[in-house]
Amino acid sequence: MEVRVTSDAFDPQAEIAAFAAGRDDAGALVSFVGTCRAATGGVAVDELRIDHYPGFTEKEIARLAEETSRRFDCPDLLVVHRVGAIRPGEAIVLVAALSTHRSDAFEVVRILMDYLKTDAPLWKKETGPGGARWIEPRAEDYARRMEAEKG
Amino acid sequence: MVRLVFLGKFGEVAPAELAEVALPGDVHTLQDLKDWVARQQPLLGAAMDATRTRMIVNQCVAHDLSQAIADGDEVAFLPPMSGG
Repeated sequence: MEVRVTSDAFDPQAEIAAFAAGRDDAGALVSFVGTCRAATGGVAVDELRIDHYPGFTEKEIARLAEETSRRFDCPDLLVVHRVGAIRPGEAIVLVAALSTHRSDAFEVVRILMDYLKTDAPLWKKETGPGGARWIEPRAEDYARRMEAEKG
Repeated sequence: MVRLVFLGKFGEVAPAELAEVALPGDVHTLQDLKDWVARQQPLLGAAMDATRTRMIVNQCVAHDLSQAIADGDEVAFLPPMSGG
């Protein structure tokens, strides 16, 4: 399992290729890439800035990833999360899971993404022509997280 | 001295001089510290009151604000998280 928090832009396709290279033990690879939108709810976004707590953020994401992968048949998992200033179109997060069969790989990625939305120590701020605003999880995100807990 | 870390929107209103503070004599617990910070910086206190604030001591989640703090600790104040 690899968890990386980085202030550098990353290429999700290259990350996925390197992660899956030579893994003939797995029959399924599922990945999710979250990217920075150019607009949210009709409001333009020039830049997304993600604040983190060095050390603690990595530790907590690793804990969430570990807990999620343990619940399923998931021999390997990759999480890459950007922090700092991000431009529209750039990747924010990548979660990729290997598994023997597809259902476990899909579930690990879906549930871990639900956890990251509400439980990863990261704080998003969008800046646009109208000013800046801090993003907080929506009620929908908390509801999904509760569902993830129940499994 | 105690190191204070303010994340997300709290970091925006917290002045640099709060990054490292000498513990006042009447501050023994996390609750005392939070109240003391709010008295020093009413804007920060209001921001913390307006949302759910979690506190982390030496990079470990504090589940109870009655937890004692000591010289040399690092205490972080976290607003609701928004990753993914």
